[in-house]
Amino acid sequence: MSIHPFLEWLEATPVGVMIKESAWGFPITVAVHIMGIMLSVGTLVWFDLRLLGVSMTGYRASLMYKRLAPWMVTGFAVMFVTGLMLVTAYATAAYSNLYFRIKVSAMVVAAINAFVYHRYTERRIALWDESAAPPKGARVAGLLSICVWATVIVAGRIMSYTMF
Amino acid sequence: MASFFAWLESTRVALAVRDTLLLNAGLSGVHLIGFALTTGGALVANLNLLGVLFPGRPPIEVTRPASRGIALGLLISGATGVFLFAPRATAASVNGIFQLKMALLVTAVLFHVFVHRRVARATRHVHLSGPSAVAWSQTTQRATAIVGLLLWTGLALSGCAFILLE
Repeated sequence: MSIHPFLEWLEATPVGVMIKESAWGFPITVAVHIMGIMLSVGTLVWFDLRLLGVSMTGYRASLMYKRLAPWMVTGFAVMFVTGLMLVTAYATAAYSNLYFRIKVSAMVVAAINAFVYHRYTERRIALWDESAAPPKGARVAGLLSICVWATVIVAGRIMSYTMF
Repeated sequence: MASFFAWLESTRVALAVRDTLLLNAGLSGVHLIGFALTTGGALVANLNLLGVLFPGRPPIEVTRPASRGIALGLLISGATGVFLFAPRATAASVNGIFQLKMALLVTAVLFHVFVHRRVARATRHVHLSGPSAVAWSQTTQRATAIVGLLLWTGLALSGCAFILLE
């Protein structure tokens, strides 16, 4: 079964039509999407740097997460909602775009990385919470997070240049 | 200035960026990474000065590493920004949104260096000067943080507007 009828149906939904055909629908949605990335990745990187033992080492890792999480989550929510809206409007073009696939793959890796960190590494946080040099698992999680989110941003920009 | 911009547009680097889609797009992506680092650092520093992130700890403890993040982000976005500016120098220099973006960038950086950091540093031993000094200091911190947040948010919005409406 081909996915194309579904993609065409997505583009014909009120959200897809609104973004594609209204004068300000696309620029406003993209602007909010970029602001969501700034908020989410911009705050997440500080927690990643703490996991790497590079910055803010005087603060407990758990406290850093607790204080930054609301900002990260808000940013990610904004980014995902507006991202879905944009994909809805250009579903067919996005589906066949290599950089869209790279972006989505990197986001899946980011989600798995976050899951593994919270499920396994964070379990023993009491042992290294105040340490300036977190264990290898935490450092790998921090480094991987920075790399995949950088990939998401670059692939996202290239996607916008190559899709239209 | 117009002749300088025309020369800049005719350089090999400008022509390569203009004619190579992936180079232009990749530079734009790295520019955005630098900008995310800058705005993230500014957000963390200003939210902390506002008393939202780590209340009870001296703000300078966060402002110092955040400033390094802002500087690194500016270095990345500045270096890539020059390459992105080169092929569109003439058009960008007369673009109102680009001019606003640059004005906000300079203002936000100067405000962070000369106001934010001083306020964050000054509050270190303020509790020794009595309750009225503490109250005044908190008001100053909050006002500084709000102005900082407005400047960096304005910069981010003008950056988005330039990308989309260029």
